[in-house]
Amino acid sequence: MLAELGNFALVIALMLAVLLSIYPMWGAYRDHDKMMAMAKPLAIGMFLFTAFSYFCLTYAFVTDDFSLAYVANTSSMSLPIYYKYTGVWGGHEGSFLLWVLIFSLWTVAVAIFSKGIPTKMVARVLAILGAVGIGFYLFMLVTSNPFDRLLPFYPIDGKDLNPLLQDFGMIIHPPMLYMGYVGFSVAFAFAIAALISGKLDSTWARWSRPWTIAAWAFLTLGLALGSWWAYYELGWGGWWFWDPSENAAFMPWLAGTALMHSLAVTEKRKVFKSWTVFLAIAAFSLSLLGTFLIRSGVLVSVHAFASDPGRGLFILGLLVVIIGGSLALYALRASEVKSDGRYQLISREVFLMGNNVFLTAATIVVVLGTLFPLVHKELGMGAISIGAPFFNQMFTYLIVPFVFFMGLGPLSRWKNQSPQALYKQLLIAFGLSLAAALLINMNYSEPSYMAALGLVLSFWVIVTTIMEIHQRITPALSQGMGVVASLQQLTRSHWGMVTGHLGFAVMLIGICLVSAYSVERNVRMAEGDSVNINNYEFVFKGVFAHQGPNYSSDMGKVEVFEDDEFVTTLTAEKRFYPVQRTTMTEAGIDSGFTRDLFMALGEQLKNGDWSIRIYVKPFIDWIWAGAFIMALGGVFSISDRRYRMAKLNKNKGKKHSQGEQPT
Amino acid sequence: MKKSTLFLIPLFIFMGIAGFLYQGLFSDPRDRESTLISQPMPEFLLPDLMNTDVQYTQEVFLGKVTLLNVWGVWCVTCAIEIPYLMQLQREGKHIVGLYYDQDIDPDFGVKTVQRVQQEVRDKLAQLGNPYAYNIFDVKRDLSLDLGVSGAPETYLIDQNGTILLHHIGDLNPRVWEKKFAALYQELVKGS
Amino acid sequence: MKLTVIWLAICLSALAYGITEDKFQFEDPEQTKLFLELTKELRCPKCQNQNIADSDAMIAVDLKRKVHQLVQQGNDKEQVVDFMKQRYGDFVYYQPPVNSMTIWLWLIPLLFILGTLTWIVRSRKVPPQQEDSDRLKQAEDILERDE
Repeated sequence: MLAELGNFALVIALMLAVLLSIYPMWGAYRDHDKMMAMAKPLAIGMFLFTAFSYFCLTYAFVTDDFSLAYVANTSSMSLPIYYKYTGVWGGHEGSFLLWVLIFSLWTVAVAIFSKGIPTKMVARVLAILGAVGIGFYLFMLVTSNPFDRLLPFYPIDGKDLNPLLQDFGMIIHPPMLYMGYVGFSVAFAFAIAALISGKLDSTWARWSRPWTIAAWAFLTLGLALGSWWAYYELGWGGWWFWDPSENAAFMPWLAGTALMHSLAVTEKRKVFKSWTVFLAIAAFSLSLLGTFLIRSGVLVSVHAFASDPGRGLFILGLLVVIIGGSLALYALRASEVKSDGRYQLISREVFLMGNNVFLTAATIVVVLGTLFPLVHKELGMGAISIGAPFFNQMFTYLIVPFVFFMGLGPLSRWKNQSPQALYKQLLIAFGLSLAAALLINMNYSEPSYMAALGLVLSFWVIVTTIMEIHQRITPALSQGMGVVASLQQLTRSHWGMVTGHLGFAVMLIGICLVSAYSVERNVRMAEGDSVNINNYEFVFKGVFAHQGPNYSSDMGKVEVFEDDEFVTTLTAEKRFYPVQRTTMTEAGIDSGFTRDLFMALGEQLKNGDWSIRIYVKPFIDWIWAGAFIMALGGVFSISDRRYRMAKLNKNKGKKHSQGEQPT
Repeated sequence: MKKSTLFLIPLFIFMGIAGFLYQGLFSDPRDRESTLISQPMPEFLLPDLMNTDVQYTQEVFLGKVTLLNVWGVWCVTCAIEIPYLMQLQREGKHIVGLYYDQDIDPDFGVKTVQRVQQEVRDKLAQLGNPYAYNIFDVKRDLSLDLGVSGAPETYLIDQNGTILLHHIGDLNPRVWEKKFAALYQELVKGS
Repeated sequence: MKLTVIWLAICLSALAYGITEDKFQFEDPEQTKLFLELTKELRCPKCQNQNIADSDAMIAVDLKRKVHQLVQQGNDKEQVVDFMKQRYGDFVYYQPPVNSMTIWLWLIPLLFILGTLTWIVRSRKVPPQQEDSDRLKQAEDILERDE
């Protein structure tokens, strides 16, 4: 019964989305305040009904209602209760319900937190979100309804949640990822609203900046979680596979990163307006494209949503309408935009845009590498594979100029930067980073050139960032202010940038050290055998049987000694889930600041030995730590006073209606 | 180039991509062409599965149009396929099995040939035996040379020992009509 | 869909097959390196999307065995890759071949970078002349004094 209500709630949410797409837009066109004022209650209603629908599906999971096809396919009675809550997004239909729930949440957030923005703009933005919402709700109701019943004959027990997803990382990975994916719809809506109104000044950039940063921070976390999950759950010890499912999330992340920086230029300097609008459209379009790639099954990927051409066709139609429509609007309107800012060749504008170029080129590389096998085959030229060698090669080329500009940008002034002053700073920065990189690299017996290059790049970012802070506080220091006081002077959004860049450097250090200095051994071991890697000795203590709530497992234990001192015991599992008849690996990992010890259990061999993978991965946790720090940078930026200006103004009343008047 | 045309580029690129995505929806991403088409059978020297004293080489395919079917008792789809192979065999087609075993680690094999033979006898007694004979790919070297990635797979080989078709997946009436029938008829008529 | 399930079943049943990686040993550490590199760049033809180093499917194990054998016989990287491509096509290698079509994989990003960098450099505008800003400053000063 509740399931029918959930279904009904979705239909109502669709209706509200339709109204939301019409009334405020019409109101903005006709200058009709009441129609525009409908936007907020409609958005709230859309969210509430979607949330109720989501609650209904959760209830069906918790109460084991296997008459729902979706529940029967993704849950079972023996599934632990916490996975019943998270199993709601364990399959295609439910995860899309989560997607629209998050979408409606963003919409409501825009409706509530946009007090400082002109009513007309908000009305248009919400109307565009409503229009996008129509597509999402229709898609779910028509092709992927999680409330479809299996009546009159339904199974006694469900088919269980995919064991791959019975894991903590997977519990939080999809919500974070979707927050990012869908969050870009807000920047998209602002851009389209600006295009429709013809007011492509820099105001829209300012308004959409915090939203973009928020979505970006979530996407960063989502990607990092996905990568971390793949590392400990898939049992191969890798952290990035260039699989289409990863690329699908990486494309909008790259475009979003470019957008974030381009928005800053457009807001502050009123230049590159048409480029920024394009990136806003691109970031969300790539989110949608990624969704299409994963949910339609056009590409071979480790990610397995059951593929269905009907669904694929529907999303493709959605893509054509949303992306095609907005790009057509873009072609019509963007050519009228004129940039009025002025700048010289050596200026922050140029360096930031240079950075943008390489980020966008990286996006293009990922899009090409992901889609090209399909194009190649459809043209009758045969099946090809594009994987790690290609992407690694391209990214190695791209990252060098990218990081170079990344150091230059913050150090330079807007409009015009004196080349001499910059040149001196850069020389120092380069010397310092080269020295630091060589020092670290010398610790390894077989130094790798790639690692040295990567380290130079990482330290380049760190050194230039510190120089930039120093440069910023110098005036205050010279006026006799203390170091702490002058540091406190810097805005939160400035700290956001600093944190974000340092996070990137941390991640880069992790990437290049783990790529160059990982040691991987695949060995066969009998109880008592040992393997030596670096200073570590791994002693195999045998395999023990273990019974979990809905699986049985073999637990392999390996004791690790470092220079004959006991370090830890690694426990790796091979789990067998009887309902899905699936075997899963759980790696045994000892995480550390400078290295991970990784062990995965293979198969038992005929003579009783086990095949075991034992890896030592230096600095691998820095990759995810770096991503986390980057996301933290995003949080700092959003918490900046400027973005709360609207609220402050309101609190102060009409007296200070122009918040930022020069004093 | 006028400035406004520049802004049309993204739209055109997107439409191009959408076209390919549309096509991609209706083709199987795992489907791929074989590199062995029009190649002669690779060289090999392998025993008969049931009588290991008999040895075959690539010359065994000369003079007859042959369907070479890669299979094993452990393969689920193969068991589904065999009844249709029986039908083909009754229609007079010459079907040869290329048998390989999953459990035998080529370097650490502990399973005896006798056991493999027993498993095959049991399986074929149950499903029928469509094979004129089975070549036993002991170390799966021939399979590798043939570009086999799993079982079942089927090759159409002409009288000169040249591979004309390589089908990955099971044979069924639909696949036969679509891929094999015309070519096979032509070959038989030619001989 | 049904086919997928069957493939999956095959892949899973293949898990029951023992891997004894320590037999992939080489006298020459360079060969060990080459072996590790090759197994990471060759694609398992039957799996979802995995290299043969990560996959435990039987075909991946067989390919690893073959790579081991070929490397031990002194073949270099290109020879091993060619050997695999002859049997499994371009699909088996994660680095795409260069042909009239795939060349765009490298050309498009390159052209994009060159094009946009040119655009940025050419569309730059010189800020107002020094005199202008001086005059502006003077004007501001006057205004300030007025207040």
